[in-house]
Amino acid sequence: MTGFLTLEMRRCTRDVRYLVIAVALPIGLYLLFAGLFGSHGQRAQGLPQPTELMVAMIAYGAMWAVFSATGPRIAQERAIGWTRQLRVTPLTPASAVSGKLVTALVVALPAMALVALTAATSHHVHLGAAQWAALLAAMWAGALPLALLGLAIGYLAGDDIAFPLTMALYFALGALGGLWVPLSVMPHLMQDIGQALPTNALAELGWRIAGGHGSVPAALLVLAAWTLGSGLIALLAYRRRGTRAAS
Amino acid sequence: MVSAMTGPVAGAAPGPGMVGPDQAVVLAAGLAKSYGSTVALAGLDLQVAAGETVALLGPNGAGKSTAISLLLGLLSADRGEARVYGRSPSQAVADGLVGAMLQDASLMPGVRVGELLTMVRGLYPRPVSLADLVGLADLGPLLGRRVDRLSGGQAQRVRFATAIAGDPQLLVLDEPTAAMDVQARRGFWRQIRDFAGRGRTVLFATHYLQEADDAADRVVVIARGRKIADDPPAAIKARFGDRQVRFTLEAGSLALLATLAGVDAVEHDRARVTLHSHDTDATVSSLVSSGLGWSGLDVGGLDLETSFLRLVGESS
Repeated sequence: MTGFLTLEMRRCTRDVRYLVIAVALPIGLYLLFAGLFGSHGQRAQGLPQPTELMVAMIAYGAMWAVFSATGPRIAQERAIGWTRQLRVTPLTPASAVSGKLVTALVVALPAMALVALTAATSHHVHLGAAQWAALLAAMWAGALPLALLGLAIGYLAGDDIAFPLTMALYFALGALGGLWVPLSVMPHLMQDIGQALPTNALAELGWRIAGGHGSVPAALLVLAAWTLGSGLIALLAYRRRGTRAAS
Repeated sequence: MVSAMTGPVAGAAPGPGMVGPDQAVVLAAGLAKSYGSTVALAGLDLQVAAGETVALLGPNGAGKSTAISLLLGLLSADRGEARVYGRSPSQAVADGLVGAMLQDASLMPGVRVGELLTMVRGLYPRPVSLADLVGLADLGPLLGRRVDRLSGGQAQRVRFATAIAGDPQLLVLDEPTAAMDVQARRGFWRQIRDFAGRGRTVLFATHYLQEADDAADRVVVIARGRKIADDPPAAIKARFGDRQVRFTLEAGSLALLATLAGVDAVEHDRARVTLHSHDTDATVSSLVSSGLGWSGLDVGGLDLETSFLRLVGESS
């Protein structure tokens, strides 16, 4: 199991799509937007511009990291028969699936931490040590529903549509979730939709912690609901595929 | 990860990964499986003893892959039961007793061959050493290569290495040589024999009759989801004891041929004649004394291909 996990992680971090979209892109976007909007403007949440953007890009990087490690990858492995081959080894199906989940979350960490590092060094985002730790830990845990969503795609979608579908979700969840443009400047209906998305809830968690605020029951509720929903869909999809794995 | 043991057999229960002596390796009784209205297996009985190499022979769509999938726990049967080393197929797989090479199953993408094999070895309780594995599967310098950049033949060798990496007691192969040329096929069966020579049991599905004849101790023929023969290759041939006398008829009447001694049936392609005979000695002597003009005499037995086609024909 340990060998399986480490090899899965090594594969993910070698993936060009992961390196470009999960690691390089959020850093690039951060530098671009923070440079454009300057260091002093205030946006939603009452946070300084660079801090607010940092949290949004951490959420963005985390989202693609967990997606790239699950959806398209699992769909491809099912299509080429590797999933079946793995099932005739002593690795149990439950270990194989939980291994994917753990891998997705682990490879999200460097993507998230590097945005934080970029923000701290390039735009002097200052947070206390405990605040940094709480921010990264909370947002890391908050990526769980997105990772489960990736698993669901992997077991539901065919190899041909898994990547475009994941990409579409990535853009939709990013834009509608307020990671590009704050929800507060959007029409009311869009705000309502945005607040129900896991991406907005994930960023909200980070914004509140960076702003020194307390708990955020609404965001936690949204994340919990997405965790349950995505987890259930992933489980059902896996079961359905499991019985057909050998056909 | 510790695999739970589900009390395998009565008496001294072997632990996970342990095998009792004189135990049937594979035991299938009345295995049946349908996909919708299509019957893939209609009640298969199969027994494989330790150390045997058994071929599961049949045409495409006979139910071979379904049988293999059931015996590996990849599918569950509608009716009947499959036991591998006295336990459920999934349990036998979980205990590391089984290695398999599946049809159309590719390798984990994006890793090096050595990384892949190290990972797979790590999943088994008592794997083959990496050095032995390189020898057994003829991997040569492939360990450092990316899995996605192997040629067809190289990928096949790595798939074989993946199947035996855990030093399984039972090796199951589903049409393993489908994509190989003749030379690769020969090399592959040499590797299987080396592996079987370590006291291992091998069960393989094939629709290449020659392969079953060459490699197996016993051939189980299935067609339309049923077992229609279960014998050593030689016995399958003997069971249809028909032999043939072939020659080119230079002079004389075709009609006379049926009257020669021992002849059961006559076929001809223009002047090239095939006599099916139950006594070729008698047929040849009566041909010599018949006054017919002939050349290019050839006496032979049926090959497995012909036996097989007849078996399939009889069952339908």
